[in-house]
Amino acid sequence: MHEELKGRNFELVAVAQDTGGEAAAGPFYDAAKATFTALVDPRHTVSALFHLVNVPSAVMIDEEGRIVRLDEGTYTRTYSAGNLTYGTDAYVPALRDWVEKGSTSSVAKDPDEVAAALPRRSREQDLADAHFRLGVYFQLAGDEGRATRHWEEAQRLHPESWNYHRQDWSFTPEQAGPNWLRKVQAQGDKPYYAPMDLPEAPADEPPR
Amino acid sequence: MRSFRNPPWFTRSVVRACALAALVVPAVVMPPGAFPAAPTATALYLDRTVSIERTLDDPTDLWVLQEVLTELTGFVLKPEGACLDELCIPVDQGPGSEVVLRRGEETWFSLTGFARRVGQSFVADHEQRVWSFAPVPAARSSFVDQAYAPDFVLPDRQGKPVRLSDFRGKKVLLVTWASW
Repeated sequence: MHEELKGRNFELVAVAQDTGGEAAAGPFYDAAKATFTALVDPRHTVSALFHLVNVPSAVMIDEEGRIVRLDEGTYTRTYSAGNLTYGTDAYVPALRDWVEKGSTSSVAKDPDEVAAALPRRSREQDLADAHFRLGVYFQLAGDEGRATRHWEEAQRLHPESWNYHRQDWSFTPEQAGPNWLRKVQAQGDKPYYAPMDLPEAPADEPPR
Repeated sequence: MRSFRNPPWFTRSVVRACALAALVVPAVVMPPGAFPAAPTATALYLDRTVSIERTLDDPTDLWVLQEVLTELTGFVLKPEGACLDELCIPVDQGPGSEVVLRRGEETWFSLTGFARRVGQSFVADHEQRVWSFAPVPAARSSFVDQAYAPDFVLPDRQGKPVRLSDFRGKKVLLVTWASW
């Protein structure tokens, strides 16, 4: 996808939300034979700055640096695992349409509209962010007790952040699956990823 | 067995002398502007981790030299306030200020006093002396009010710093993902 679009004044910037940094993310970048800009973000800085709570999430940013879309669950196609389906086939065509047409694409929103719809951050959520990064600091320093305490506090203060839960669970892989399933089920009807509201047929002509 | 209830005269004298010295000596031997050594500290802000070699010995607040404020947050202390690019947040810099303290040639800045002033969340581990600060709320207004992408600098796989705004003039798809 990047190979196809990069000649069109476009850049894909991938950011790994991994406390393990290059050691954790590197093999995935290798497997993807990344030719795009591949960054590592052990402290989940980008999620904090853009108010993101899950991965994968994607932000379309125009030439002036303004955001025209911000979406969760931006997989390149639909996937299924057991009776669970996730992702969408509509995102890649939508991306192509925007790269080609810019602000005239029906995919692009007015940045003012994007701003109005951005989730606000409460004091508790900000505090959760401070605790999360303190946890990462202690984890990198080898102090697991303190890391766990601060991560648990981050999850308590900002329970909607899947990033905090899933990163923490990643250190006990055998429990990560059941933990995740329990929390998903506890959500009831609330969708795991926020719905994407992509235009029905973003490309009115087939991509070249 | 010796009793310490009535210490001998010389002990009493030494105690008195020490008490007097504690009051007098710092003012006599230390030049104005110097402080007794206070423990070092660490501050975290976004992707930055800054080791702080000198702090003031304050049981509640984290005071740092003004250069450390800039290293950690990008904010620069100016006569009009603490400034980041176009944004300037006025801070009291007069005597009795809870944020700015001038001693001799040095200007000290209370990161925690400023955080309280601007509604910035933070948490500290006092035993390990590590302070972790959430983003400054006012610094986010171009994002939350106008949807400008917040800028950041993160390392690429070789450790080379990459700044988001380096791609200004191009369309960018910023994707977060994780191995977990």
